Amino acid sequence: MADLLPPLTAAQVDDKTKVDEKVDYSNLPSPVPYEELHREAFMSLKADNFEGLRFDFTKALNQKFSLSHSVMMGPTEVPSQSAETIKIPTAHYEFGANYFEPKLMLIGRVMTDGRLNARLKADLTDKLIVKANAQITNEPHLSHAMFNFDYMGSDYRAQLQLGNSALIGATYIQSVTNRLSLGGEVFWAGVPRKSGIGYAARYESDKMVATAQVASTGAVVMNYVQKISEKVSLATDFMFNYFSRDVTASVGYDYILRQSRVRGKIDSNGVASALVEERLSMGLNFLLSAELDHKKKDYKFGFGLTVG
Amino acid sequence: MAGFPPPIFTPQVDVKTKIGEKVDYSNLPCPLIYEELHREAYMSLKPELFEGFRFDYNKMVNEKFFVTHSVLMGPTEVPTQHSEVIKIPTASYDFGAIFVDPKLMLLGRVTTDGRLNARGKCDLTENFSIKGTAQLTNEEHMSQGQLTFDYKGSDYRTQLQVGNGSIYGANYIQHVTPHLSLGGEVFWIGQNRKSGVGYTARYETDKMCHQVASGQVSSNGLAVMNYVQKVTEKLSLATDFIYNYISKDVTASVGYDRMFKQSRLRGKIDSNGVVAAYLEEQLSAGLRLLLSAEVDHVKKDYKFGFGVNVS
Repeated sequence: MADLLPPLTAAQVDDKTKVDEKVDYSNLPSPVPYEELHREAFMSLKADNFEGLRFDFTKALNQKFSLSHSVMMGPTEVPSQSAETIKIPTAHYEFGANYFEPKLMLIGRVMTDGRLNARLKADLTDKLIVKANAQITNEPHLSHAMFNFDYMGSDYRAQLQLGNSALIGATYIQSVTNRLSLGGEVFWAGVPRKSGIGYAARYESDKMVATAQVASTGAVVMNYVQKISEKVSLATDFMFNYFSRDVTASVGYDYILRQSRVRGKIDSNGVASALVEERLSMGLNFLLSAELDHKKKDYKFGFGLTVG
Repeated sequence: MAGFPPPIFTPQVDVKTKIGEKVDYSNLPCPLIYEELHREAYMSLKPELFEGFRFDYNKMVNEKFFVTHSVLMGPTEVPTQHSEVIKIPTASYDFGAIFVDPKLMLLGRVTTDGRLNARGKCDLTENFSIKGTAQLTNEEHMSQGQLTFDYKGSDYRTQLQVGNGSIYGANYIQHVTPHLSLGGEVFWIGQNRKSGVGYTARYETDKMCHQVASGQVSSNGLAVMNYVQKVTEKLSLATDFIYNYISKDVTASVGYDRMFKQSRLRGKIDSNGVVAAYLEEQLSAGLRLLLSAEVDHVKKDYKFGFGVNVS
């Protein structure tokens, strides 16, 4: 239920208000969409670490339509009774098709394990967007679908979510000042008969972003991102579940250099990870991924190539 | 008994004899050392493939003394009863020291699993040298040591090996023509009361080793044949055929070795359905990136690794 957390209104900094001008409350900017509340923090802290070999090939058939082939081979963890980590070598192939148009976006992906993932995003009018997301698998009762209706007002956003097995959610975000947004959310899940409510806040300037989110499922998330220069940004994250008393704090960095991008982070669970993406030439990217879990003594290393 | 394959005679080509001149049999060159008989084939076909992450740091303390630190982390296969491949992440650290002198070479390596590997080579005179190797472990009865006495004649080499557990071996290599060397070997293992003989041959077209063919037969059932062709200065192709006539195991492999300005790429494919590649790229002076990939289609085992070598 991660995206049913309380919506957060995103305040945006207007250069003019730096000199303490009067805030024009009738002309506040539009806040960040609810799902993208933590996006700066997650760009640095939730990098895509993988293990083994990864090869992605994207071919653009014309301006709007492209195909992608993706191969991943390597050891994958299997759940075991003992505390030891056990891995078995596996291989996956994923075929995808993407269609992009200014008002319509369609994405489909099918994998060798029989899973199909389809996404749709359509701008019905200037202010109303409809999104749909479906995951279909071979196994019964594991397929699910979700529809979102987004309405974008002048300084607020409202969203309604409907999912299969009677899932209903609604989020609302409002810009309160130029920098601060506040929001809230409710959801109701029909199958386990659960309902919940949540709140979120986001404070933003052109050098930093701070967000916080609380939900009745017990999750509390706070993060802070500071952009030190054009090339460097640092981020920190704090996740706490007040029911299960689980705490995780992490610190990470993101260096964007001319030909490469390095992202690293360290966790309070004893996990240190890094991801390097290097642009070898036009359209050819080389990836190196490393993740060391010192507590569980699990080491994951991978390299890959992205073409197109 | 990998160290006791039948000796192989290494013929060496003398450029002058290409035109069918009379072969000067009293002036044949010296053959290669027994262990290095298949060396061209093994350089191309047996790169050091690994899985996970590897970091090697070589530090030169002075001209003669080097220290190496080596870290290897990644999934390691554990033996299981069923046919599935299971891996567990492990990490190991190696410390090594090397002393190199014109007449003396000493090498030592100790790993975090408690194994010590030591080697020494001493040239007593120009023709006579002594080599010793030892592998010591924590487990009882798993330590081994071996002493080798090497004599180099004008166109022959002979070796006598003595190892713990009363292992004795002798081998002899002789240049028969400038291109062809032939040799033989005997060994005797005291513990199992086994003995064996073996024969080898090596044919080389010229001193630059443009074509090398070698073969080896041993009484423990092993027959090995390989052929290496140096197509250009930068590219060489190799093929290998291993047959055990007692266990009826056959493996054939084909590989290539391509040198580029800044890198070296080796690849091979096997009759067991294994495809492997190994790339070493010199990123800058003293910094090398290694990429290793091995795909076993029959067992469905995939091993990928990357590493850094700092000198």
